[in-house]
Amino acid sequence: MLKYLKELTEFSGPSGNEDNVREFIKSIISGKVDEIFVDRMGNLIALKKGKGNGKKILLDAHMDEVGFIVTNINDDGTLSFAPVGGVDTRVIIGKKVRVGKDIIGIIGYKAIHLQRDGYMNTPKYSELKIDIGAKSKAEAEKQVKIGDYVSFITPYEEQGEYIIAKALDDRCGCSILMDLIEENIETENDIYFAFTVQEETGLRGPAIIAEQLKADIAIAVETTTSGDDPELEKQLWSTHLGDGPAITFMHSGYVVHQTIFEKLIETARQLNIPFQYKMRTVGGTNARRYALTGIPAGVVSVPARYIHSPVSVINKKDYEYTIALLKGFLRRTDF
Amino acid sequence: MDKKATELRELKTSKLLLKLSSIPGPSGYEDDVISEISQIMKPYSDECFRTPMGSLVCVKKGTGPKIGFFAHADQIAFVVTKIYEDGFMRLSGVGGWDPKTVISQKVWVHTKNGKLRGVVGFMPPHLQTTEESKKVPDYDHLFVDVTMNPNWKDISIGDLVTLDVEGFGKNGTIFAPALDNRASCVAIIKAAELLSKIKTDAEVYYVFSTQEEIGGPGARSGAYISEIEYGIVIDVTHGDEDVPGYPKIKMGEGPAVAVGPVTNRRFVEHINKISGKYNIKVQIEPIAGRSGTDTDEVQLTRIGVKTALISIPLKYMHNPYEKIVIKDVEDTAKLLAFSTAHLPEMEIEECEQNPDSAGEGE
Repeated sequence: MLKYLKELTEFSGPSGNEDNVREFIKSIISGKVDEIFVDRMGNLIALKKGKGNGKKILLDAHMDEVGFIVTNINDDGTLSFAPVGGVDTRVIIGKKVRVGKDIIGIIGYKAIHLQRDGYMNTPKYSELKIDIGAKSKAEAEKQVKIGDYVSFITPYEEQGEYIIAKALDDRCGCSILMDLIEENIETENDIYFAFTVQEETGLRGPAIIAEQLKADIAIAVETTTSGDDPELEKQLWSTHLGDGPAITFMHSGYVVHQTIFEKLIETARQLNIPFQYKMRTVGGTNARRYALTGIPAGVVSVPARYIHSPVSVINKKDYEYTIALLKGFLRRTDF
Repeated sequence: MDKKATELRELKTSKLLLKLSSIPGPSGYEDDVISEISQIMKPYSDECFRTPMGSLVCVKKGTGPKIGFFAHADQIAFVVTKIYEDGFMRLSGVGGWDPKTVISQKVWVHTKNGKLRGVVGFMPPHLQTTEESKKVPDYDHLFVDVTMNPNWKDISIGDLVTLDVEGFGKNGTIFAPALDNRASCVAIIKAAELLSKIKTDAEVYYVFSTQEEIGGPGARSGAYISEIEYGIVIDVTHGDEDVPGYPKIKMGEGPAVAVGPVTNRRFVEHINKISGKYNIKVQIEPIAGRSGTDTDEVQLTRIGVKTALISIPLKYMHNPYEKIVIKDVEDTAKLLAFSTAHLPEMEIEECEQNPDSAGEGE
């Protein structure tokens, strides 16, 4: 368990640029599944056949992460950029980033001494630049081009029961799917493992999956906001680290299919697996996209602090319990 | 000369910059960085000692004029001000941070039992109110997550906190933390290296001082102890920024030599003359009143010190990654060394031009 999470989080893979992540997952799971293919959008789909009398259950984890794209190369050699997915400008200043394949730069900001009124206002993307040490536009153009993807650089780290890394949303889900493949679960059901693209730019990857395979049920395996910090009163938290997987009853644009929601809860109760309800309904997942394309879907998430930032935190126990819950769910025959 | 010193002697400017910027040395807690500098300075000094306020003074003996170089060795950091029951804490700045640059950084909390991991957290954007999302959180709202350390209860109020960022070099520039003012420390080290090869009568005091970022006593005590006549403070100044009404100090165009009341006019003229003689590019930085650097204090020490302020252009000051051009540091070192080597000539000229120099200033 957790064998692949370090490598998974350290790849650069903003939406539309998931190639490295996909190639890595493919190289690991090939040979461990019955079928594997990459579709037109770049979703990687693997099938593990069941014993034949069950349903087709699809587990989804998105490979992409939030990041940036270079929008202009400026005369002074700096790079202008725009977010790919939702990234608050307040979490990105003073960070090291990777541009394209291997160009390192930083997001700098004018010295505090030179700022005037309004310096505590949230900065706009148009005010921010990436500095790659190039002294002119021509120098910069030798290293980068408009359209290059940009991502954070954060070494994966484990401390006690916790994991600190970038891109846990949703490499954590990818890692869970890979671990489930390696567990080689005996079940009646056919299981599709869908490692999808472009979740962060509008749940786009899975939009083409329903046409390719007729799954009966989809589960989005996600990494979700916790908000369990001193800035929020307890009743405003969304989830709490260490309390087990979060099960969603509703989120932005989708009320989770009632039977799936109930069977997830029932599975956790029967197997004595700690779980929690996701207590806020903001944000969305690929479950909505599956539902929109005719596949009833549910959501199971590992709670995480500080997602969509260079450094997020999860609890290993939550990860383990999420795997246990999904294993129990996949073995059910009463759908 | 011990082995370590020999190795360090071979260090290039870029290596020295990365090395010194990687050692935490918050104001008041400069011991680690100062002992490293002390090792490096040994081969260039006849004597090294610490002042009661912790500053390091290295001396190159001489029979001529006495001059001191001053660079503060401390850096901005944070201190723990509040700890919550569930493993979160709040900070305050030691020195002037921009809160925008602190969010979502990994930090080290320096406890009495070693350093612990922390993550500066951020309230999830979609759980924020519209009002909250328009503002950067101040110290009352910035928080650090230390729950991941099984022994986070070792942390106590007053523990220091530093950012965990790793500097790097690129294209003749360095991006690293604390280049304010380790870049100047490196300039002094390189100047000392040069002065160990140049023949000069001057007696040189290399002072690496403490507690500048909080306006503390480090440099002043260094100046007091050394009883110098001339003092050059080396610090950093904003590079490649437009400051209305002032010339733009450019990165890579050489150190900025300050003019104004905290500097001695004749001494500054001497330095500029030397820059011309040796073809070292310099820029001019007018400072109308106090400079906000150690120069302000050094000038007023004992019977007064003839001061100059030489600043290395630096972009993104007080950011986690500050930026400097390596050549500017090397040019600063040359300017310091040659200005010192030619000090006796300046003194002779001064006497010839102005036999009654005591009348100056009336």
